[in-house]
Amino acid sequence: MIQGFGALALNGFREARRNRVTLVVGFFALALLMCTTLVTEVTVHTFNRVLTDVGLGVMSIMLVLLAIFLSSGLLSREIERRTVFLMVSKPVSRSVFLAGRLAGNMLTLTLLLLAMGALFFFEVSAFRNAITSTQFVAIGVLWVELLLLSSFGFVMSSFSSQIVSAVVTTGVYFAGHLVTDIYNISSRSKSELFRLGGKIAYYVLPNLSRLNYRPHASYEVAVTPSEVVSSVAYGIAYSAALVVLAMILFSRRDFK
Amino acid sequence: MSTDTAHPPIEIQGLSKTYRLGFWMSRKVQALKSLDLTVNSGEVYGLLGPNGAGKSTTIKVLMNLVRASAGKALLFGMPPHFKEARRHIGFVPENPAPYEYLTGREFLNLAGQLAGLSGHTLDKRVKEVLQLVAMERAAGLQIRRYSKGMIQRIALAQAIIHKPKLLILDEPTSGLDPVGRRQMRDLILAEREQGTTVLFCTHIIPDVETVCDRVAVLVGGNRVREGSVKDLLTSEAPLFETVLEGVALSQIHAWGYQPKYSKEIGERLIVRTSDQEAQSLARKVLGLSGRIIQLQPVRFSLEDLFLQAMTEVKQTVGTEIT
Repeated sequence: MIQGFGALALNGFREARRNRVTLVVGFFALALLMCTTLVTEVTVHTFNRVLTDVGLGVMSIMLVLLAIFLSSGLLSREIERRTVFLMVSKPVSRSVFLAGRLAGNMLTLTLLLLAMGALFFFEVSAFRNAITSTQFVAIGVLWVELLLLSSFGFVMSSFSSQIVSAVVTTGVYFAGHLVTDIYNISSRSKSELFRLGGKIAYYVLPNLSRLNYRPHASYEVAVTPSEVVSSVAYGIAYSAALVVLAMILFSRRDFK
Repeated sequence: MSTDTAHPPIEIQGLSKTYRLGFWMSRKVQALKSLDLTVNSGEVYGLLGPNGAGKSTTIKVLMNLVRASAGKALLFGMPPHFKEARRHIGFVPENPAPYEYLTGREFLNLAGQLAGLSGHTLDKRVKEVLQLVAMERAAGLQIRRYSKGMIQRIALAQAIIHKPKLLILDEPTSGLDPVGRRQMRDLILAEREQGTTVLFCTHIIPDVETVCDRVAVLVGGNRVREGSVKDLLTSEAPLFETVLEGVALSQIHAWGYQPKYSKEIGERLIVRTSDQEAQSLARKVLGLSGRIIQLQPVRFSLEDLFLQAMTEVKQTVGTEIT
């Protein structure tokens, strides 16, 4: 089982590495990260803050886009192109196949995140700014956010097309970051239905603002270990639930 | 758990599959209707049938790609969703689609790893199967550059990399040129020589006659014929085809003959009758100053059997049900 999982994960990484979109996005992200130094040219004060803000922002946007692109097409493309026939018929369970594919995706995103993180810290130190623990936290928890979004894209792609999966996952990304605001606004409403809708959205949608430590890093706000552990645990538990759901949907699916 | 030699490689009992189609899944199409089938160890078993007869659905149920609506399908006595059941099976689907971003060698490595091979054993088997399917020279090319024939070969290579006891091949020769078809047939026969059981699904009848020991004809999700190729071809009384001139078909009917087949082409009439009828008919035709142009025995082929089965069933394939 472990051998099959490893082979599938490495194959997923190889697929992403040979995908032009991944390469283009990867290079573009690294180039953009390099360009954050240009922002410092127009900054008089708050130099550190702008460098961290733009650097982490670029990382987040590019990797989120890539996570949505990779995860939303992974299973649906396999099914449309019928490559799944040759894989699912091997002596590996569908759950292992799915977990292996997700691991391959995450391996790609992790390596890109590490490369971008290294470049970011190189820039920070090159401008003789202090590297803070909150910056590490922001990048580490961004990985959890990518895992959660990839898992959501995976669930969608186990039963719908790539476009539908990408659109819904993008919607969930924005809604996930606004879910606390949605809850607060709806709770002040006079309409019972609206309040109920807000409450359901709050409990069902992933609360991605819990996984956003970029403002903390920019404004150098200290975060407690317990807060970080709680956020990471929330993100991983939510992702695990999504992966289990994807496994159930995928294992019941007929490949006509 | 291991493959039990007491159980046949494939055992299907009362297998039915109904697909639900449409946005609301309200349309039902019955692809298989209570199919019974057994493939014994060491034989090459052919599944024949027109498009939509249920051949591919049968194979998909066996390969755990679709779930049966009723009945059971067993591989070495185990249901197809047991991965142990699939450990000793090699599968080539119809129009196989390997990952095209991989090279042939990389794809075989992946297939071998998923089948449980590793290290030196895997390397050795990759080399062997590449040689077997004559793909050593193209092994380093990405599969997206392969021709249809090369893809079929690499698909067969991935199916036999772990030396399976059962090979399931869905239309392995479809889309291949005559040379490619011959090579594919030779590879299947070579596997049979090594004792591998083969389930071979096709609608190319000459391929079945060449490689299969036993065949089943499926029409509309039912098995309408089954037996050894030899028995099926000799089951019908031999017919004689008479080509004659100067006598109308109505006259032949008036003499009391009921030809199995008749066709008028201009002045000529072609009739197929039994041996005895052919001789007495010839005498009567000559007595009426007609001419016998040709009189020859007709070999009953699998194609005739196939068409006969189709005519008897008179059923539309892939029938939609309410």
